[in-house]
Amino acid sequence: MIRLAFIQFIRSGGIRIGLVFLLAIGVTSLFVGKQFAQRQQQGIADVIQFQQTDFPRQAAQHRDDMGLLLYYLKFSVINEARPLTALAIGQRDVNGSVQSVTIRGLEGQKYDADLTNPANLLLGNVDFSFVLVYLFPLLIIAFTYSIISNEKENGTWSIVAVQSRHLLGFVGGLFLLRLAVVMAMLLLLIALAIALLDIPLDGSLRLFLGTSVGYILLWFSICFWVASLQRRSSTNAILLLGIWLGLLIVLPAGVNNYITVRYPVPEAQATTLAQRKGYHEKWDTDKTETVEKFYAHYPQFRQVPTAQMPTDWRWYYAMQQLGDDESAGQARELRQKLEQRERASRTIAQFIPSLHTQLQLGELARSGLGNQLRFMDYTGQFHEKMRLYFYPKIFTNAPVLTEKWTAFQVDTFTDEAPIHPLSTLGPLMLFIALVAGLGWFRFRQTIYHL
Amino acid sequence: MLQAINLTKQYVPGQPPSLDTLNLSVQPGEIYCLLGQNGAGKTTTINLFLGFLQPTSGQALINRLNVADHPQETKKFLAYLPETVMLYSNLTGTENLDFFSQLAGFRHTSDELHSLLSRAGLQTDAHNRRVGTYSKGMRQKVGIAIALAKQAKALLLDEPTSGLDPKASNEFSDILMGLAQGGTAILMATHDIFRAREVGTRIGIMRAGHLVESLEARDLTANELEAIYLQTV
Repeated sequence: MIRLAFIQFIRSGGIRIGLVFLLAIGVTSLFVGKQFAQRQQQGIADVIQFQQTDFPRQAAQHRDDMGLLLYYLKFSVINEARPLTALAIGQRDVNGSVQSVTIRGLEGQKYDADLTNPANLLLGNVDFSFVLVYLFPLLIIAFTYSIISNEKENGTWSIVAVQSRHLLGFVGGLFLLRLAVVMAMLLLLIALAIALLDIPLDGSLRLFLGTSVGYILLWFSICFWVASLQRRSSTNAILLLGIWLGLLIVLPAGVNNYITVRYPVPEAQATTLAQRKGYHEKWDTDKTETVEKFYAHYPQFRQVPTAQMPTDWRWYYAMQQLGDDESAGQARELRQKLEQRERASRTIAQFIPSLHTQLQLGELARSGLGNQLRFMDYTGQFHEKMRLYFYPKIFTNAPVLTEKWTAFQVDTFTDEAPIHPLSTLGPLMLFIALVAGLGWFRFRQTIYHL
Repeated sequence: MLQAINLTKQYVPGQPPSLDTLNLSVQPGEIYCLLGQNGAGKTTTINLFLGFLQPTSGQALINRLNVADHPQETKKFLAYLPETVMLYSNLTGTENLDFFSQLAGFRHTSDELHSLLSRAGLQTDAHNRRVGTYSKGMRQKVGIAIALAKQAKALLLDEPTSGLDPKASNEFSDILMGLAQGGTAILMATHDIFRAREVGTRIGIMRAGHLVESLEARDLTANELEAIYLQTV
């Protein structure tokens, strides 16, 4: 029976067109991911290469002036992209994966981003997560919106209802059949992705796959519930497309709007202003005062004797440091606001399964706001480490060429923030159980009604 | 086997009921023919036995089980042939028969499927063609084969011979009488007075939701039946 039901299903012309279309766009999305990954790898390779050749060259050029040399040297930190990132690019296209900082003021350098084609940003990436979150539901809707209603409209339902020994089981079978076809498509795409992008078969991938499966189950349970309302096919289609629009366009836009209004970040501009003011004002203020403030921050350098230099680098870097120090309050607030936005969107997303899926896929692929914030923190620590290492060398104008410049490797940030399977899959499971349960409950009452 | 007790269906509150306190019973081996104009309540009666409609009051019983309370269990005893049999147009005649038989829990061999279709009068060369190319009469024959394959204790027929040519109609009458002899209880709504007289053991005439006459078929000629019918409606 399942075999015949499958033949009946697959012989419908639209079904095959839909499957081919989804497969084509799914494979395209994998190549979009591949391209993204290659661009990232190329960028990282370039940075590593550049640092290796640029440092010795600069050192040779400014061999007498440690302060001037460090004015120029850019130390790079890489936000490690995983192969999985190519499946859910998230914010990685807006936020650069490489942050290159001099030991001058940090705040002014923090938000320097890659140049990206703004047209791409507008459209978003057609990556795998887009195909999964936006397009798979459309196929599921197309497969299931008329499961019972079409039989009623075509007149086959009455014989089906009389012949079947377990009518609800039969309806469930029709859904499971389509579920199996969609799951096969998902697994095929994931298998292709694993081969194409060299994705390691680790816990992250398992959770990524689990989330994808959960999301598909969610849409099947929504379609099951709509079928249980026993409306006409056209009504079902409109209802399901309405739910699609609501879950994927209206609610996310609404939540985004709410979060932007609820947690505005005027600090973004204030930080920049405070940092610039903090630094530029110092050109016109008393040098001793500036240096005193610097020593108040780093008392350990008070004992370091200052050598004769062509430029007073101690004062110059103190100015830079004070730019950061005086904007520290705003910077901290900005960081908190972004953190709050991240937390709020996660909390709200627990009640909007589409949004939750998107956020979790981003989190697993390390391409979300959370990853970016942790990368920024890491960049800050890295910057501080570099400052503390070089300050005494600048103040004493240590000989440039005794430093082994090629030893300064590009640093890599590996995001190890823990991800709990329960918080990833839990909300999806709850929704699936709730919606499918509602459908089952309603079907028990209405299954035989014409 | 089939029993209606004060069976009433009112679609719209305030309007007169479409079926008003119907009482009838069909024993195993009996063929009960319901005659009546369009809207007399024949199809409503059948849909109540099928459980597709909920009665406003009264009961429809199949094998002493109330259909409204046991929609699933009562289907085991039932086969149904609607006025227009609709099938899966993507599947062939044999595949449709196989599918609907498997739904009912029967697995037939290919030979059995072909023999059932032939018994229902479907020409052999059509068995493996897709149903999308079938005429109404051919679909009706597949419907008959589906009903035969289930070997049900009760058979509900809603103007089953509409669309069949006279020869096929005649063969269908033979099939029905054969089934009745085997102990099947048959309830058939029809407009065909001649055929009702020929195959029926009892004949009920309905008007505006009421069963106004219930006659033994063997006591009547077709002409007498027609005269009574015309007087009644």
